[in-house]
Amino acid sequence: MNKIMYLEFERCIGCRACQAACRECGDHDAKERNYVEYVDFTESRQTFPMLCMQCKDPACARVCPANAIQITDEGVVLSAMEEKCIGCRNCTFGCPFGIPKFDFEKNKMYKCDMCYDRTRHDIAPMCASVCPSDAIRFIDFDEMQQLRRKRTQMNLVEGKKPQEGNKWDYVPEFFGVYTDQS
Amino acid sequence: MSQFLVKEGVKNQIRKGEKLVTTHCCYCGMQCGMHIRVDEKNNKVVGVEPRYDWVLTRGKMCPKGVTAYQTIDHPDRIKTPLIKKNGKFVEATWDEALDLIESKYKGIQETYGKDAVGVYGGVSMTNEKCYLVGKYARVGLGTRYIDYNGRYCMSSAAGGFNKTLGMDRGSTLPWTELEHTDTFFMAGSNTAECHPTSIQWFWKAKDKGAKLIVADPRETATARVADVHLDLLPGTDAALANGIMHLLIKYDYVDHAYVQERCNNFEELKEMTAKFTPEYTSKLTGVAAEKIIKAAHIFGKSPRSVVMFARGAEQQTSGVDNVSLYTSMALLRGQIGKFASGVATFTGQGNGQGGREHGQKADALPGYRKIANPKDVEYISGIWGIKPEEMPKEGVSAYEMFHLMQNKTIRALHVICSNPVVSSPNINYVQDSLEKLDFLVVNDFFMSETAELADVVLPATTWAEDEGTTTNIEGRVIRIRKVVEPLGESKPDWEIMKLIADRLGKGKFFEYNEPREIFDELRLASKGGKADYYGVTYEKIDEQDGVFWPAPAEDHKGTPSVFQERFATEDGKANLAVCDFRGPSEVQSKEYPLWLTTGRVVFHYLSGNQTRRVDFLMEQCPEPFVEMHPELASQYQVENGERVKLSTPRGDMIAPVKITKAIRKDTMFVPYHWGKKLAVNQLTSPALDPFSRMPEFKVCAVKLEKLTK
Repeated sequence: MNKIMYLEFERCIGCRACQAACRECGDHDAKERNYVEYVDFTESRQTFPMLCMQCKDPACARVCPANAIQITDEGVVLSAMEEKCIGCRNCTFGCPFGIPKFDFEKNKMYKCDMCYDRTRHDIAPMCASVCPSDAIRFIDFDEMQQLRRKRTQMNLVEGKKPQEGNKWDYVPEFFGVYTDQS
Repeated sequence: MSQFLVKEGVKNQIRKGEKLVTTHCCYCGMQCGMHIRVDEKNNKVVGVEPRYDWVLTRGKMCPKGVTAYQTIDHPDRIKTPLIKKNGKFVEATWDEALDLIESKYKGIQETYGKDAVGVYGGVSMTNEKCYLVGKYARVGLGTRYIDYNGRYCMSSAAGGFNKTLGMDRGSTLPWTELEHTDTFFMAGSNTAECHPTSIQWFWKAKDKGAKLIVADPRETATARVADVHLDLLPGTDAALANGIMHLLIKYDYVDHAYVQERCNNFEELKEMTAKFTPEYTSKLTGVAAEKIIKAAHIFGKSPRSVVMFARGAEQQTSGVDNVSLYTSMALLRGQIGKFASGVATFTGQGNGQGGREHGQKADALPGYRKIANPKDVEYISGIWGIKPEEMPKEGVSAYEMFHLMQNKTIRALHVICSNPVVSSPNINYVQDSLEKLDFLVVNDFFMSETAELADVVLPATTWAEDEGTTTNIEGRVIRIRKVVEPLGESKPDWEIMKLIADRLGKGKFFEYNEPREIFDELRLASKGGKADYYGVTYEKIDEQDGVFWPAPAEDHKGTPSVFQERFATEDGKANLAVCDFRGPSEVQSKEYPLWLTTGRVVFHYLSGNQTRRVDFLMEQCPEPFVEMHPELASQYQVENGERVKLSTPRGDMIAPVKITKAIRKDTMFVPYHWGKKLAVNQLTSPALDPFSRMPEFKVCAVKLEKLTK
């Protein structure tokens, strides 16, 4: 599985189909593990989806005193194992993205597992499958790189050029092409 | 035939002990493809699986679609016929219910004439059922009074298209072409919430640099990213469209060769639009003149554009004018009948397209035939096996039927697949009208607000318990599959109509054993009409991902794009609209100084009878709200979440405030999916479009009051 969950926030239309679909995944116990938030509803209807980043070195697993959070060979960070989780909630505080949720009835954490029972068979997770606006996509690594290059290209097509003050708007995320020193 | 259809190379998750049945969603006109998961052991529906290879929606679904399956085996389902005794519903057998209906219908018709029993249909059901509702009313009951909830939905679009193009197919092009369009002009459509899965096509086009112009009083998700957002006053679409056409002519963006060859009335249109200068248009619509000019230039310069509109422009007293004018914008640019360009309306109901084609409308017969045309009556009488003189005359529109209940012309009513005490305008009057009836029968699978008023409630099936076809937003006929057997004693609507017709001695006209037989009759009935389904078969739908009507011959593959050569008018030319701005029926006054407009939210569908029973959807949106601009809120000293009172001369309601800058300062928005005290339709205006008889849901003058603590 060399696939990427690719989020494009500005495509999000706030329909929350991803959350409804998350509940439908077999191992999800009818509880959603993803988030859709308004940036600021008073200002605009812009929303954005938020999922687990499936970190390479996940803080949630690091801070777990019971080693309950397992990482699969493919790098998917799973929900806490029921028999190991002690309900201390360290993971919910440790995650910098605020992803793990806590089930107070069962006294255990639960989080996005990228629909592991689907993705390990190369079938897209429920959220990415249904997302009507392609704000959430499940795509090949190469396709992701291509999409990023395309974003800069589109800015050129539109005749916009980065200028001092807004150049960060034109930088594909995570690539340090422009720096403050330049 | 396989119940699980999937193209080669497409993978789905199929769990042990489960099977998938391929079908479409029950809600809006997008008719998203989906597979329903069924437990093989107990034959219960257990979930949903995306249908990645459905050509229009590619596995995508909105939250309503994802949770649609939960309505099938829902604890609130009505499982047996119910008869009201001393104000309470009592479970009954089918025979008891049918006995009662038979005696009441017969009694009323013998005393007061055939027309004293009316039928009120709906279009959230298959073509087979919609077709049969028309036949049931005219042949089974012999009444002229039949109309349907599509009157509140698509009638203005139909009226406008018929006037300008001579035929009413919601979209002149298949929507899979939309990604190649250069500019979208969208008026009165909150498509991100009402047709969420259409967004993928608009965003795809935008990825390639397409421009977006959105006309809406609210800054919707599409308006937010639009190149120009024309934030017009509710009810001023006619002025805006005339204003844009004024500029198209002024800057010579008109495709003269196309207009010369294919359109009438250009000189008259030029004359009419002459006064709609940007300044004048701006004064009428409240949109800045620069924005109108910018929009006209973007639209005028695009080689391929699509003009789209929805209920925002249509649910007005000038709805037909608005549709005709917006369509004329596309005609002036020479767009209709070409690749990735044209005109389209967003069909609100699942089968809003197919349901309006086959004779549920007061004046229509199958295949868009007209009851006023003796030739059409003769043809359909032949198919139905009655004498032409037995065909009842034209009836009246949905809202006007309630007047006839008030004056006792209609004494009994059969409501099929609709919830008019939530979805009609001015519902206090509508409820009173239904209460005045001697006898009310409602088919439904949940106890709707209308069903609560009924004397007999007949348990209908959900969409997943019957076979059939629907026609989606594009005009593509698709297949709905039976997933499970009907719950309890519920029966599909076609079977209910057949049983009642049989009791009334008309059984020989309704000898169907399965929906396919009804569809075959529909194919013949529509043959030669404008909406010609003769060449559509269940097999062909599976083979080629749906069939676009018209398909006039058995070996015809269907017509994805219409009007490529000629229009469906008598002379083959389109009629450009020459319509002045009339304005909405209500004006602001000292007492009612603000504007109110209504619409949908993404979590609910129509009257909410289904979606208000789904947990996920109710968690997201449990009650209606009043959306208003912070400036307006500040003037009335109300805070976010505070309950306020809205009133019009027709009624009032109390709802919490939701403050956002994404709406005009003088306009408030309330979603309409709730009944009784939570219904905004207590307030809405019943003024009708003179041509389509569409009520003006989208504009009324309203009073806002802060509640004293």
